[in-house]
Amino acid sequence: MRALKAFLLGTVAIGVVAYAVVAGLVVVVQADGRTLDLGIGPVLIASVAVEGTAKVATFGPGLILVALLGGVVNLVAAELIRDRSRG
Amino acid sequence: MIAASDTVSLAPGVGLGQGALEDRVRGHAWPLNSSGAFVLARAGRPVVRELAEAFSLPVEVARADVLHFVWLLNGLALVNVESQMSRPRRFTEWLQLAVRLAPAGTMPAPVARRRALDTRTARRAFVSSLAATLPRACLVASAATVLAVHFAVILGAGLVVPVLIGLGTGLGLGLHEAAHAALLRGVPSALVIRGRRTYVLHAPVTPGRRAAVALGGPLAVSALGVGLVLGGIVAAAPALAAAGWPLAAHALALTVAGGDGRVACGL
Repeated sequence: MRALKAFLLGTVAIGVVAYAVVAGLVVVVQADGRTLDLGIGPVLIASVAVEGTAKVATFGPGLILVALLGGVVNLVAAELIRDRSRG
Repeated sequence: MIAASDTVSLAPGVGLGQGALEDRVRGHAWPLNSSGAFVLARAGRPVVRELAEAFSLPVEVARADVLHFVWLLNGLALVNVESQMSRPRRFTEWLQLAVRLAPAGTMPAPVARRRALDTRTARRAFVSSLAATLPRACLVASAATVLAVHFAVILGAGLVVPVLIGLGTGLGLGLHEAAHAALLRGVPSALVIRGRRTYVLHAPVTPGRRAAVALGGPLAVSALGVGLVLGGIVAAAPALAAAGWPLAAHALALTVAGGDGRVACGL
């Protein structure tokens, strides 16, 4: 249960921060009239593309991946803290 | 840093009982010996010479004893240290001490200050916590603004975004603690500021409520931050989205890197 809590809290925390940063970045890029293509390897996080006269912003599954990685890191850190407090 | 001219006062929610120092917030009492009771009964005025005379001690020994006792109690947020110096003078003294300690790779020890919180209703708790954190929030907002403006000038950007980021940083601190306090309705609580740390001290509650209180602060502020970012997207206003960044960053307190996250995980 404790491990699940650590994983979920880490996922939510990193997910929220990643979303805020990426979404803010997308707004800035759109306002400047530039394009953006952000991803982890082939996995898209966010992109801003120009299609005709319109600018199209897309959020990809990379955000979820980043959030899940955050959950795993938080879980590992929680276990390390627990081990240290036991020892 | 505690200067020889400083005096102490009992922190809000702390009182002298029958031979003990009672903390109504924690619900604990610490037994006092005669010299401890003597010092605390004279809180608010210089006590070293009186103590030396009453207990037939050399003044230097009495001063060292009082200083050790006050550090101990202040470390537990049971007494507040009242400086008799002006702020600029205190800052100068702190700076001199910091320079002297620098070769040892350490800084002057921070002094804790405890402020009262009125938790009779959630609204009172929220407002009293905001009031208690206001000086700290203003300081943090100013520092963050200066830092953000510095980077904006280097990057040749405008000043609206860094100012909003600075304001958001200060506001986030105030709202974070206020959200904790609001969730402690009916529970004796106090706000403690020690060095870089700001936290709400409260009476024991059930584990579930403790976790809810811990999660409430970062969740409330980060939700507001995400709301501002979404508002920035809808209004196509980058400045609004940027103002949401420091607030959304409070979500990091949910991880075990933050005290709230460790409490929520039962660590």
